Amino acid sequence: MAFDRQQVEQFLYHEADLMDEHRYDEWLALWADDALYWVPTGRDDINPAREISLIYDDHVRLQVRIARLKSGFAHAQEPKSRMRRLVSNILLTEEANGEITASSNFLLAELRRGKQDIFAGRTIHRLRPQNDSFKLVSKKVLLVNNNEPIDNLTFLI
Amino acid sequence: MKPQHDLDYEALVKEDRVHISLYTDPTVFSDEMDKIFHRGWVYVGHQGEVPQPGDFRLKRIGLQPVIMVRDQAGTVQLLLNRCRHRGATVCQEKQGNTRSFRCMYHGWTYQTDGALSGVPGMDAYGDEFQREDLSLAKVPRVASYRGFIFGSLSPAGITLEEHLGRAAAELDLFVGLSEAEDVEVVSGTHQYSYQANWKLAAENSMDGYHPMITHASFGQALMDKIQNSPSPEQRREDRDFASFRGATIDMGNGHVMLDYKMRIYDSLNGDPTPAVRAMTPEGQAHLEELTRRFGHQRAANMLREGGTHTFIFPNLILIGIQMRVLQPLRADYTEVCLYPTLLKWLAPEVNTIRLRSHEAFFGSASFGGPDDSEIFERIQDGCAVQLEPWQLLSRGLHRQRHENGMILGEMADEVTQRGIWRQWKKVMTQGTGVARTTRQRTGNGVARKRG
Repeated sequence: MAFDRQQVEQFLYHEADLMDEHRYDEWLALWADDALYWVPTGRDDINPAREISLIYDDHVRLQVRIARLKSGFAHAQEPKSRMRRLVSNILLTEEANGEITASSNFLLAELRRGKQDIFAGRTIHRLRPQNDSFKLVSKKVLLVNNNEPIDNLTFLI
Repeated sequence: MKPQHDLDYEALVKEDRVHISLYTDPTVFSDEMDKIFHRGWVYVGHQGEVPQPGDFRLKRIGLQPVIMVRDQAGTVQLLLNRCRHRGATVCQEKQGNTRSFRCMYHGWTYQTDGALSGVPGMDAYGDEFQREDLSLAKVPRVASYRGFIFGSLSPAGITLEEHLGRAAAELDLFVGLSEAEDVEVVSGTHQYSYQANWKLAAENSMDGYHPMITHASFGQALMDKIQNSPSPEQRREDRDFASFRGATIDMGNGHVMLDYKMRIYDSLNGDPTPAVRAMTPEGQAHLEELTRRFGHQRAANMLREGGTHTFIFPNLILIGIQMRVLQPLRADYTEVCLYPTLLKWLAPEVNTIRLRSHEAFFGSASFGGPDDSEIFERIQDGCAVQLEPWQLLSRGLHRQRHENGMILGEMADEVTQRGIWRQWKKVMTQGTGVARTTRQRTGNGVARKRG
């Protein structure tokens, strides 16, 4: 394969750290301009033209999401969630256009207002090689509990 | 579970304040489930959720699990989800399509109209065993208004029309840009939960006072937009949206609304069409389709009226494109379902824009709703304080006015919260919910005329 597996893994681990530590600007900088950040609800495969998602952000809405989290008035993240997540079971595919699809599982412990929640799921990253690293083109998060009521998903998942 | 003692709701609900125990006391919660949710009219679902024969959704009326299913003959049935033999639930999936419901304990099988059609080993029962007597229990009263299906677990009581009263016009408005059967409820469900009382979401959904504080992070984005608005018209429109303009209305029977009708289009001499045209290409397409379908005048009137923003007591909220259903489960735990709707005749890309706009503010990962839920949980925590144990609901009490049997106030007044609580107290003190005897109903009719 033309890419270095370890480099992709490092990217995923780095992204996980940025999310866990609320390093919003650094996280936003990972994304390509044609970004799609997608967390479906109800089931994993929906038609976004006719069905709602928990998150369906293009780059403009990603910027709004980050600006809101930094505003000091996003009460659902005041105080912020304390988080740590594991990323594992990574499978990589090289696409015809040179981009890389990385599928991985995550397990996240999230603590807020004295209540600890566990989130888990499979994430499909689409990475575009650029210089010595990657731009994040799209990210689809298939939550295990995407057809159940969720209290608060205002942190980065 | 029956309350251990009679709670003095007269003393706990005053015109300008309510006691915090009404949000926290498990005895009060049991009493609410009994009197409000297990006897009165409760919203269950929309016919558009089950378009085909065999389509079903699991719902609840109060705490009781109900299957909403379109039977093979095309009628929407509300069946209690419990096998008549030894009591296991017969439907496990939240939604789907089926020809029958089968209990997997001993194999009793029910048709989609509830009829018991299969009993393995029938010969073990005597002649007195009649399958006809053992259908799945049906919600005793089911009624539909423009596709909105309500149920009452009480076999007697006021009609749905009496219950809805003036609020029926707001259901009309919700489907008014379409025909009832043109509302599609196929866009999934935002499901969220919060660790606080169900009435906090009811009050908040009709609260015109909180947005610029609770939703300051969203409001700031709007203010930035105003600063950068390309034209004076657009700036005026955006500022209108960020203002407190509009009215609070108590329609009676606990149904209340925020009325935004005059808000956006006043400054355009009553004709909203230029504003819509100015907004976006999608707005332009929407307007053209409306005009093509209904003519300019009616299209303009529809747009002037805008969407509705209404609470139907005790559990349905209509805001913009969404139906929102409150599901109380404990005094301090509530689940909420949001059902966004599509209009069949709208251009697909306009329907998609409607969904994306909805996602921005609503759902567990959105920029609006989670901040409301956060406040509900802070209130529930605050209820642990026993000194001065009251919630104040007095805003605008001195200036509210009575018109045509309704109570009206300014947008940031607490007319709506007082309206919800007045009905709550009425139902809770009657002891029989809104399912009253004929004699009591007549009495209420007289009172209404006087009011």
